[in-house]
Amino acid sequence: MAKIVVVTSGKGGVGKTTTSAAFASGLAIRGFRTAVIDFDVGLRNLDLVMGCERRVVYDFINVIQGEAKLQQALIRDRMLEKLFILPTSQTRDKEALTAEGVARVMDELHGEFDYVVCDSPAGIETGALRALYHADEAIVVTNPEVSSVRDSDRILGILAAKSRRAEEGKEPVREHLLLTRYAPRRVQGGEMLSLEDVKELLRIPLLGVIPESETILQASNQGIPAIHMKGSEVAAAYEDVVARFLGEEKPLRFTQPEKPSFLKRLFGG
Amino acid sequence: MTEERTSPPQLRLSGGVFTFSVLRLESLDPGQLEVQLKTPEPVKQFLHNAPIVLDFLHLPDQQLPLRPWMDILRAAGCFPVGIRNASPAQAEAAAAMGLPHLRGRELEPALQETPAEPSACSPAHTTGTGVSTEPGQILRHPMRSGQRHYARNRDLICLAAVNAGAEVLADGHLHVYAPLRGRAMAGVMGQEHSRIFCASLEAELIAIAGIYAMPDPGHPLWGKPAEIALEGEQLRIMPLGT
Repeated sequence: MAKIVVVTSGKGGVGKTTTSAAFASGLAIRGFRTAVIDFDVGLRNLDLVMGCERRVVYDFINVIQGEAKLQQALIRDRMLEKLFILPTSQTRDKEALTAEGVARVMDELHGEFDYVVCDSPAGIETGALRALYHADEAIVVTNPEVSSVRDSDRILGILAAKSRRAEEGKEPVREHLLLTRYAPRRVQGGEMLSLEDVKELLRIPLLGVIPESETILQASNQGIPAIHMKGSEVAAAYEDVVARFLGEEKPLRFTQPEKPSFLKRLFGG
Repeated sequence: MTEERTSPPQLRLSGGVFTFSVLRLESLDPGQLEVQLKTPEPVKQFLHNAPIVLDFLHLPDQQLPLRPWMDILRAAGCFPVGIRNASPAQAEAAAAMGLPHLRGRELEPALQETPAEPSACSPAHTTGTGVSTEPGQILRHPMRSGQRHYARNRDLICLAAVNAGAEVLADGHLHVYAPLRGRAMAGVMGQEHSRIFCASLEAELIAIAGIYAMPDPGHPLWGKPAEIALEGEQLRIMPLGT
């Protein structure tokens, strides 16, 4: 039986799709059968970040509307045998995501996979509501700035009120905070909220901190989930996130500004 | 079985307990009610679709402008559902308009700060029906941006943070044992003795009985435990627990 994880934020451009791709890949690396679904109908991105855009024949909306079978629309990942991508449509709009249709697809995925990762669109409209409705766990992606924190707060409120678990009076959705685009040096300079500030404002358990990095841009332009960028801080940070999600203890990394090397200090950086 | 199917559906009566807001009318002039209903937006939102009982306690025993009152209240979006404290003639006039004469208990006295006078209380009074003991409502989960909660006819106790963009309201007192960062309104139906208590004052807006203030981070009690009371036409912010 699959566990359903929504990657959500309220605000756009904070790193939901990057996180969905890296996190789903991380679960598959650990040997879990994982599906990652793009709920951002009309602004299809996940397939680009996963590097499978040229292999999209049928999509999520085709399956919802009965024009294709789920098996026809699921794309096997290039690198990981246990990872499948369910891309969305670029031409339809969010109204195509009917509640019954999504429920049917979720039911079908439930038996086949260990984890289903739902990449939510920004905002609090239909697409975002559908993406979070079935969730057992939620990764709330937040940038260290006031508006992102406010939007994450809003999404947490919606999770507590409008998820299936809330409606059915079951145990609430498990919430995880993922702080992304974190630049310790700018935090030190007072330009960004600190990790402590964000934790204090949102008050949910911290899953991890992903440092701001050029690597992310390179990864998504090449269509490679960031967790595969060997030797990079970002890949290491996402590996930690997956480990913590699976219940392992990992100390926080990349939250302190790098100390300049001895030579740099001597001659100025 | 067949018998049941052929017999006409039976009338099913059951009991229910409901909470209505009581509007105490102080003047016979309908214009005054109209002016009074021009309240701040949040109060208006509560009145919207709210069942209202009209209280005639403070009115003289004479013919009342029932029709204009009803029109004004309906225009404000509320539903007058009954009257109380009416003379027999007034009750008859109201009944003719579909408003029954109700004899409910009043909750308001419990919320008012009455001077402590235990010895003055007659036994008959303590066992009487005048005082309500309805406890405050407790919220354990954080109130997040975009959420709002209204404790009608009682106090509200928030054990977790009220975040920026959230709204908590109560007809009675409002206690927030965590940071108060959103909007907090006590005494929403006009109870001027209601107060707000919070563990850390960081609110966007505070209001008591419709009188509001927007504290700013420069306030000496910002981020500190505070108690807020209405004094005259002004909110007074005091340190809590000193």
